[in-house]
Amino acid sequence: MKAIAFVGMGLTVLGITACANTERSRNLNDPNVPVKVTAQQVCSNCHGLDGNSTSPNFPALAGQREAYFVAQMNGFKSHNRHDPAGFEYMWGLSRHLTDDQIKGLAAYFSQQTPVPKPTSDAQLMSRGQAVFEKGVPEKNIPACAVCHGPRAEGKDSFPRLADQHADYILKQLQVFQRTDDRPGAAVMMTVAHDLTQDNMLAVAAYLQSMPVSK
Amino acid sequence: MTLTARKTYALKLSGTFAIIPIIATTVLALLPGQAQALPAFARQTGQNCASCHAGGQFPELTSYGRLFKLTGYTMGERAVPISVMGVVSYAKVRDTSKSDDPPADFQKNGAPLLASGSIFIAGKVTDNIGVFSQTTYDNYAGQHADGSFHGHTQADNMDFRYADRFINGSRDLIVGVSLNNNPSIVDPWNTAAAWMQYVPVASPTSHQFVDGNAPYPGFGSGGNLAGVNLYMFWNRMVYAELGTYQTANKGFSFMSAGVNDASTTKLQGANNPYWRLGFSHEWGPHNIMVGTSGMVAHVYDSGSDVSDPNNIGRFKNTGVDAQYQYILDPHTITVQLAYMRQKQDHSVNTLAGTSSYNLADGSTPVNPYSASDTTNTFRAKLSYVYQAKYGGSLSFFNLTGTTNTLNQTSGYVGTTITSADSTRVTGNLSGNPASRGWTYEAFWMPVQYVRVGAQYTAYSKYNGASDNYDGFGRNAKDNNTFMLYVWGAY
Repeated sequence: MKAIAFVGMGLTVLGITACANTERSRNLNDPNVPVKVTAQQVCSNCHGLDGNSTSPNFPALAGQREAYFVAQMNGFKSHNRHDPAGFEYMWGLSRHLTDDQIKGLAAYFSQQTPVPKPTSDAQLMSRGQAVFEKGVPEKNIPACAVCHGPRAEGKDSFPRLADQHADYILKQLQVFQRTDDRPGAAVMMTVAHDLTQDNMLAVAAYLQSMPVSK
Repeated sequence: MTLTARKTYALKLSGTFAIIPIIATTVLALLPGQAQALPAFARQTGQNCASCHAGGQFPELTSYGRLFKLTGYTMGERAVPISVMGVVSYAKVRDTSKSDDPPADFQKNGAPLLASGSIFIAGKVTDNIGVFSQTTYDNYAGQHADGSFHGHTQADNMDFRYADRFINGSRDLIVGVSLNNNPSIVDPWNTAAAWMQYVPVASPTSHQFVDGNAPYPGFGSGGNLAGVNLYMFWNRMVYAELGTYQTANKGFSFMSAGVNDASTTKLQGANNPYWRLGFSHEWGPHNIMVGTSGMVAHVYDSGSDVSDPNNIGRFKNTGVDAQYQYILDPHTITVQLAYMRQKQDHSVNTLAGTSSYNLADGSTPVNPYSASDTTNTFRAKLSYVYQAKYGGSLSFFNLTGTTNTLNQTSGYVGTTITSADSTRVTGNLSGNPASRGWTYEAFWMPVQYVRVGAQYTAYSKYNGASDNYDGFGRNAKDNNTFMLYVWGAY
């Protein structure tokens, strides 16, 4: 009798779920799944429910510029962006998202509120602030603020950097400096070319804990 | 010749050792170069193995992998839900001389084996239903009368689940139900009994002392059962699971398919509850889980008459476990701790017999059987992986337990111990199950779905003693075993 009860339970479960459930779907190949659902059911696993990721392996997306977000997603989808951290996770997830879904996700995350990260050593942050605001004049490296905004809030396809994980920024600067994995960011390949390891560490530490600025 | 192949040959291994890298190279040559979309789950999500498996060292899951599993393997899109896995293995036991019949006690010692292969049906079925189902072929499952081996296929781990996830503002609740055949297989952490073990191990007795056969915290009921488990994961902080198991017969016989009737674990009724509670916390690149689990199982003695209640023994397991992970490219560090206490009440019929062994004086009978036994099994494992390619681990195991004449498989009949009445190599003279040792492993993953590993397991205690544990002079350290393996999946 108990065996029958087990079977009954299983069949009931199967019967209940015969239909697709777009309100809480994790399907990445269904244009009918609302972007908020995808953001919550899938993106949140790494990037956090509100776009503030816990692990520095994954970039914070809260407050990110929509144009930059769309460009990156299209870069993943087309395999144009192929840094390891990107393709290992994002090529597959983005492969069948529609243009509208990508735009919707961009809007969703741009509207989330960024959360500042812990501050680092004051001297390191001070050196980082100098790189951010003034660049490295003796090497003709321009100030980050020129393109990314005085408060690193980003603009159009220039990403918001404020409150980003320092480790993520550092690794991306290394990608720009040492590889051709992000051809969509040709400007950064030039800018990062002569940055020292200390320059990168310092500016990453500074950006991670800049005051919130949307 | 490719760079990988040149590197492989550069290992300059000789003799039988050489077959391992040769096979590895062959496997690599046969597989496509693109390192993505493999195997079934990777095809479903389009992601690399390292997304879900910490440092790529399957089966250990990352935080993301745990969520993939708890949401019922439903993330991504439906794909071909079939994968295969194969293990090539080579094991060498330190001392094979203390044996009456070394070819039987250490079959295939020092010989490379195509040990086993599995086929998986795994992946998303609907938005809420997913499957992880493994069937394994053991190339050395049995022997013919002439000593030659034959293979056998049987049901391995199976997990069919329905899951849903309710997210609203800051609330995140995953709930699910699983039909499965192995207590703790539903668990997403790798300190759970079903998931902590090192690679699968081969059947020949040359592999009987490799780490996979050394003590691990586990459940007395064993596997190939049929169970239904309900679970929830709340705000990625609290995991709770409750289930119960019965014999995998009738409509559920597919979950013990290939296991002959006498070997099938048979439980009394469906009142064999399993429970699990875990607390998880993530911060920066770190995450930790501290948990507890347990099970009460009423199990018929192996191969016994299930109409006789006097054949029913009872296992009560209570465990605590903890896992810490640090995952920040290119480093993956994992610390795992697991402890399981097991109280076993023996069946009436088991206790009805009497021991045929005497004390060393040849005349005094050993103490009567104890009606119950308690064991305590502890495992600690530390692993490090660099670039999801190069890794190593260190593991300590310690099993202690009560002494019981029932555990004796070797002893005095008259004033001597003879092979006619006692067992060499695996025999237990003390009646105590204690076993203790260390395992060291180094591995290399040339591509994400192939792992080449070297493992050494060293014993300081075996079957209750460091020296002469079988009564024939065999010492625990004689069982120290070196193993090489290649593990691949597609």
